[in-house]
Amino acid sequence: MSYEEFLTRFREKILSYRQNGNRLYFEIRKDDIREIARFLFAELGCRLSTSTATEVYDGFEVQHHFSDDREGRYFSPLVRLCREEPEMDSIAPVTKAAAWIEREIHDLFGIVFQGHPDLQPLLKEDNEGVVGYPLRHERKE
Amino acid sequence: MSGQGSYNLPVGPFHPLLEEAEFFKLRVEGETVVGIEFETGWMHRGIERICEQKTFDQVLFTVERICGICSTSHPFACVNALEDIEKIEIPPRARYIRTLIGELERIHSHLLWLGLAGHFIGYDTLWMWAWKYREPVLELMELISGNRNHYAMMRVGGVRRDVPAEVLPVIREKLSPVQKKVEMIAAAAADDPVLKSRLQGVGVLSREAAVDYGAVGPTARASGVDIDVRRDEPTAAYGEVEFKVIVRENGDVYDKLVVRVLEILESIKIVEQVTEKLKTTPGPYYYDIKEIPPGEGIGRYEAPRGEVFHHIRTDGSNRPVRHKIRAPSYVNIPTYAASCLNLPLADVLITTAAVDPCYCCTERSLVIVDGHDRRLSVDLLALSREKTERLKKDSDKEGVLW
Repeated sequence: MSYEEFLTRFREKILSYRQNGNRLYFEIRKDDIREIARFLFAELGCRLSTSTATEVYDGFEVQHHFSDDREGRYFSPLVRLCREEPEMDSIAPVTKAAAWIEREIHDLFGIVFQGHPDLQPLLKEDNEGVVGYPLRHERKE
Repeated sequence: MSGQGSYNLPVGPFHPLLEEAEFFKLRVEGETVVGIEFETGWMHRGIERICEQKTFDQVLFTVERICGICSTSHPFACVNALEDIEKIEIPPRARYIRTLIGELERIHSHLLWLGLAGHFIGYDTLWMWAWKYREPVLELMELISGNRNHYAMMRVGGVRRDVPAEVLPVIREKLSPVQKKVEMIAAAAADDPVLKSRLQGVGVLSREAAVDYGAVGPTARASGVDIDVRRDEPTAAYGEVEFKVIVRENGDVYDKLVVRVLEILESIKIVEQVTEKLKTTPGPYYYDIKEIPPGEGIGRYEAPRGEVFHHIRTDGSNRPVRHKIRAPSYVNIPTYAASCLNLPLADVLITTAAVDPCYCCTERSLVIVDGHDRRLSVDLLALSREKTERLKKDSDKEGVLW
């Protein structure tokens, strides 16, 4: 499936997109993430490389990077989350590759992934010296 | 995970042999593993945050220090990510040099693993030989870059150092005995009944599980998942050289061994091709890139352990806004949950070592505790080696080593 066909098929779900060679970065609503992830993993046969969470001025952005190994290209859906309620659906029920990275993002940014089978801390576990969310830029009180 | 007669076996926080922090909690019934849990974070250094405070040039030196073994893979993926933002081209000579360094690193990394794997199962001769033949590769690295590791060869727009013409014949001179010895090891592995009965059918990772966990590198390829960044999205000179992607179907430790041994031979082939190209490709070895534009880029490279992934977001300043790094062991280690189940304890060590875990990259540890939370002391290395000794005694070809 070409990028054009993908964009046409999901035109109602894709809010904006940018293509840079064999990378497709696109924004979707947070409620659609599991459907898009399921399509990319189960139907297109993509592999989840990893996910990036970034703090921006009004909240957070979470990007999942799906690698289409047969074509050597990436699909990177982006979800924006507000600072007050950083919650979105987990895609760990779709692919186990998401389990650790979602735990890590929860650990470091405090983003909650609903429906994750086991959202316990990955890096901070049993470490009382680490307070708050280490990768947030806000000053810790 | 729980039940009468089962107990937890803690392994860690230091690996019995790899001497790095790792921690697994094995739940065992008798001698059989029925569950596995991991704890990570023992060596987390916050490199993603550190990178946000460095200039792009400094970032390359920082990510080089994520791992001592695959120390060129991270900068390789990082320059790929930075060059991906605005599709920066690099000179042909730089493409060959990048490929040369990447493949020499793969050869010495696979030989290091081969030696450790041999030691784990009681083949100490193999251990010493593999590390002996790794030495000429490290000497080549020193000749080219001045260092046995942390080569500092990558820069945005090319490489930092040229490979002088007088070094090119030395590459062949040093690699040709390595090739012969690796071929000998491959033949011996195919011939050794003890090795086969020790490793075949052990720690099997099914194709479905490998896909589900997103496994990469030799771990995935030994389970029949045909992926290799060098072929699937060729950067540097990988689109111009001929090599085979080694794929096996069984997913056991033996297949992971075979994949790595054959990959060493493919890497030697690639090194020979790029050495020839370097003889006839003059020109600059870098373009001077003054600025990284605002945007985002994804860069990856097939490290010896699998795909290294870097995602960088920039805002037009001289440092990244966000730098996400994912090392291959991060997705390979969770596959233990599938490959260690129902294994006898004596096979756990070699199974956890078979993905060639890189603790610096992912960090973690292994513990065995009983049902009353008592910590048990079990020498996994001794268990593993004893099993090989038993098999050798039972074997017709007693005492046949490499």
